[in-house]
Amino acid sequence: MSWLDRLARELAARGLTGGDRRRIILELDDHIACEPGVEARLGDPVELAATFADELATSTARRSAYVVFAALVTAAVALIVPQLAPGTASNIFPGFTSGLSLWLFFPALLGMYVAPQVALVAGTLAAWRAVRHRRDLVRPAAELALVRRRAWIALGAGLATVAGIELYVLDFVAVLPAWWLVLTGGLGAVAACALLFAGKELASAGELRSGTTGPAGDVFDDLPIIHYSWLRRHPWALGALGSMLVGLAMTLFMAHAERSVTEGLQRGVFEALAAAVGFVLLGRKIGVPGSPRLAIQSGAGLARIPAERLAGDEDRSRVEQVLREGFGQGRLTLEQLTARLEVAHGARTIGELRQTLKGLPPDER
Amino acid sequence: MRADALNGQLDVLILATLADEAGHGYVILQRLRQRSSGAFDLAEGTLYPALHRLERDGLLSSSWSVQSGRRRRVYEITRAGRAALSTRRQDWTQFATAVEAVLG
Repeated sequence: MSWLDRLARELAARGLTGGDRRRIILELDDHIACEPGVEARLGDPVELAATFADELATSTARRSAYVVFAALVTAAVALIVPQLAPGTASNIFPGFTSGLSLWLFFPALLGMYVAPQVALVAGTLAAWRAVRHRRDLVRPAAELALVRRRAWIALGAGLATVAGIELYVLDFVAVLPAWWLVLTGGLGAVAACALLFAGKELASAGELRSGTTGPAGDVFDDLPIIHYSWLRRHPWALGALGSMLVGLAMTLFMAHAERSVTEGLQRGVFEALAAAVGFVLLGRKIGVPGSPRLAIQSGAGLARIPAERLAGDEDRSRVEQVLREGFGQGRLTLEQLTARLEVAHGARTIGELRQTLKGLPPDER
Repeated sequence: MRADALNGQLDVLILATLADEAGHGYVILQRLRQRSSGAFDLAEGTLYPALHRLERDGLLSSSWSVQSGRRRRVYEITRAGRAALSTRRQDWTQFATAVEAVLG
């Protein structure tokens, strides 16, 4: 098999296909044609393919996080501008019974009030992680997967927001002024296009397989302020505290806006509950360790998988989180943590991964 | 000189070789070798990921052209690339002067 064939095969194995791969092959084919026998000096095709894939995976994941964030900004415009448009303050909320159907109204409300929060949190975390390491050529595969997962959640929530806006328009199509309906519907449509474009970017970023091992990192790494605090050792408290803060902010804001404490409290409690539910459902996926799903999924997960099954980056980062928790709870010493993390990062099978959890309480793995 | 010595400097060297004239991968390597009198011994394949990266960062642009019946990708330095080159050049001069002063 020629040098070039081996390179082509390696590139494909790492998810580099289509135009990118064709271009690399053509360029190196040209290089070889310039000087017969140069292959010996080109280096190992396996390493070269790995470099291409790792660098491209890193830069596309970063880029797609930015693109998703930009698309979310258009969704935010579609959500906020119509509410601020002059003369609309009192008349764009006609009362929920005056629309076409409650089947439109309640999904619209969910889309317009709950989804944006999810989008904001997940989208900001995705973009923030990308910004933090913007100068690095290569980041660990597990981290790229985390960035993409955050971006996907943000994107989904963004689409739900836009869907909510359009349902609202539809529900009150007979009641609200035509110019407002056109403005709102139009902005929503623009945002939907931006989000779909971002989804395409994100999907193509996901095809690349970077081979770099290493920790995914979690939300504590993203927010240095809380990194060393008490919260690090009690991650669930982060969710509870966050939810309460959101609820409190909303209570104060609505109580002021509506000049009614009851009104404010209603919204505040709703908001806090929504944030807590979001934390429980999505926390682990966006890198909040210790959120309830971590215990459930990792617990059942690893124990049931056959030991010889090959471990993936997600398994590795899950184990890493459990180990860090073990350290946080004082069960592991720093030396043990470091040694076990090293083993976990290099683990090829589930069995090897499970070994690193030895001695930790079974309900946590 | 080993390839490690090039670590972190390959990008600026590529930009420098393209400052006066565009070129494709093989030509860039030849220029590198000529100008350094063959001092840099790098795995030649590693040039290409660097070229692609520089293009993604907007410091180079590239296009296909047909030369002597072959399709080849020709790289050209961009305005941003020139700016980056002059900054890096200054940094390097400062660094080299300081090292020389210390080594005596």
